[in-house]
Amino acid sequence: MSIRNFWTIFKKDVAVGPRSPFVLFAILLPIALTIVLQMVFGDLFAQKPRFALVDQGSSQISLLIQDIDGINVTMLSDPEELKQQVQSHDFDAGLILQPGFDQALKGGEKPVMQFYISGESYAIDRLILSVTAIDLIRTVEGSSPPVEVELVSLGRGEALPISMRLVPIIAMYAFIIAGLFVPASSLVEERERKTIQAVLVSPAKLSDLLAAKAVLGIVLTIIMTVVTLLLNGAFSHNQLDMIVVLIVAAIFWSMLGLVVGLLASNSQILFAIVKGSGALLFAPVIFYLFPDWPQWIAKMFPTFWAIDPVWQILANHATLADIILPLMVTAGMSIVLIPIVAKLGRRMLVQLASS
Amino acid sequence: MGAQVSTAGMIVTLLKKDFLAFSRDRIYSILSLAALILFIVVFWIFPMTVDESITVGISHHDLGMLLDADGEEGIELLVFPSEALLRSVISGDAEAWIGDDGKLIIRDVTDGESRPSGASKATVLVGLSFPEQFIISTAMGQQTTVTVYTNQDTPPEIRGAMVSFIREIAFMLAGSPLPVTEPDAEEIVLGTDRMGDQVSMRDRMRPMLAFFVLMMETFALASLIAAEISHKTITAILATPAKASHVLTAKTLFGTMLAMGQAIILLLATVSFSADNWLMLLVAVFLGALIFTSIAMVVGSMGKDFITTLFLSMLFTIPLAIPAFGVMFPGSTAPWVRIIPSYGIMQVLMDVTVYGMSWGDAWIYLTIAALWAAGLSAVGLTILKRKVVRL
Repeated sequence: MSIRNFWTIFKKDVAVGPRSPFVLFAILLPIALTIVLQMVFGDLFAQKPRFALVDQGSSQISLLIQDIDGINVTMLSDPEELKQQVQSHDFDAGLILQPGFDQALKGGEKPVMQFYISGESYAIDRLILSVTAIDLIRTVEGSSPPVEVELVSLGRGEALPISMRLVPIIAMYAFIIAGLFVPASSLVEERERKTIQAVLVSPAKLSDLLAAKAVLGIVLTIIMTVVTLLLNGAFSHNQLDMIVVLIVAAIFWSMLGLVVGLLASNSQILFAIVKGSGALLFAPVIFYLFPDWPQWIAKMFPTFWAIDPVWQILANHATLADIILPLMVTAGMSIVLIPIVAKLGRRMLVQLASS
Repeated sequence: MGAQVSTAGMIVTLLKKDFLAFSRDRIYSILSLAALILFIVVFWIFPMTVDESITVGISHHDLGMLLDADGEEGIELLVFPSEALLRSVISGDAEAWIGDDGKLIIRDVTDGESRPSGASKATVLVGLSFPEQFIISTAMGQQTTVTVYTNQDTPPEIRGAMVSFIREIAFMLAGSPLPVTEPDAEEIVLGTDRMGDQVSMRDRMRPMLAFFVLMMETFALASLIAAEISHKTITAILATPAKASHVLTAKTLFGTMLAMGQAIILLLATVSFSADNWLMLLVAVFLGALIFTSIAMVVGSMGKDFITTLFLSMLFTIPLAIPAFGVMFPGSTAPWVRIIPSYGIMQVLMDVTVYGMSWGDAWIYLTIAALWAAGLSAVGLTILKRKVVRL
């Protein structure tokens, strides 16, 4: 294999490839899917209540409120700025704590609660922020609540919003379209347009051509999966580990793309292969949506091993050490695909020679 | 010798050529049309109303008057006949449905019961179970235990708020007044109180959709200019009586007409125009089209192939999307966003269509946008002219 030939073909694919509808599809689909799925199920348009606080003394409230989960707290310095930003709905509500607020509270002086609500804030946000503020004030005052409140979490395991469970579906689309479809369709297009013969009569070998197609798929897959994860707020944990996982998964999908591209002699067959195997490729991600289903079934599908490490990092904050098994399986599947690609490549050369 | 062609005639001819070239570019002509249809469909798919409340399941024995908390804005109480049923709904083993008569229907999903006809499903995010004698015991200073049931769909802020809410009820029952002086209700709410009449996501989406339309046309025009430069079509044009100024004028007009035309179609399809606001909206989209056309000229002059043009277009236009996001998610953007060229346009599109902004308030945004449009046009034309002359 010649690096120079590989690089020339790769550059050509990068320059010409984007005109392919599959590349545009690979770029647009994860973004469109994110918007649609998050719009229907998700958090994209459901913001957390936003609370502004001006602490003119050094109230305990400004410390306690930082520990409250699910509320975006911003500390401001100027009371007028707080009122202005609450009015313009930059915040749902705001609280101004005048100097000596805590002392006045503890001394029973009933200081004025300078609490402001934005006219555009939602009713539920108003309720959340006002009861939270009052609860904190009671805490600082030193009142012990006359009731015990027991929090019981029911259902399956840790809280995980449905929007997060949808991420593997969108990521799987990025894998299939960018990783599998782009190299496969690029190969098929070259065969249909007979440009592959032109390439192969040059000093370039088939291995250079296949490597260029695979690398295009790998690069596009990694970029689009990272974009997908970023759009879904799922790229905040163990980013380096996630990048490693994406590289391993992208290699597997591109190898699979080469197999499909070499098997299909024209676009119709390519579509038939992808359409026919679509359910098998996609099946594992459905199990993330339905955690009650027997999860061992998902492991029967080869593509499970390529998507599960992504899921483990985003849902369980796993590290590479935790997901070494699925990673090894994915890498192993890629290695197994190498001789298959080589064999199919030789078969294609024979077919081209005889055509 | 042919007759002399007037400047206007020359520009019209060049404009026709540009429109023809655009219609022949299958990718962008199809994408432009498909995107425009998609944006209009997306607008109408988005919810028109805003649900400001959550449904809270409750099981109790003798709460009586406390159930008036249903009057509490932001909470809709759903009374369950037993704690066991409440638990089963929160845990996902059963579903809560509201019948036509307003009565609660419990559907056991583990048994595969069919959906009750004529009923609507209630999403119960959190359940509160009050013990017997809660009111009397609390009032007498005896501590009781209230259970808050949550599941994986309960947001953390709701969990915390429910705990605080119950504590406050208990404080009230125990006769502990608030340790602070509450200000007057009128002083608390700043700005127009829109509770029950919130701006829907559909309305908030409008500036974003307009931005996407303008962005698409930036891609299209930049691609067209890049192709003309790389294919040396412009050199061929300049060999005719057409001058560089004719080409630049035609490009500016073409880009502005293309972008503005589609933005107007979008605004018409989203029923944005009214007798009072149409001129303000037209001025806003005209300035927006001019800004994006200028960017397309810069990108088109720099782009050598499809991917470079696409990449540069994204690089220049994505920052312009920030104000549109800011309109969709108030409070999510920093103050410096106001210096972005598209800020005034997005603000006018939002405030005019939703809040009925007048010229008195809009002029400052439009003036700043006009200055940006003039500045960027000068930059775009200069860069393109330099490129054209050097070819």
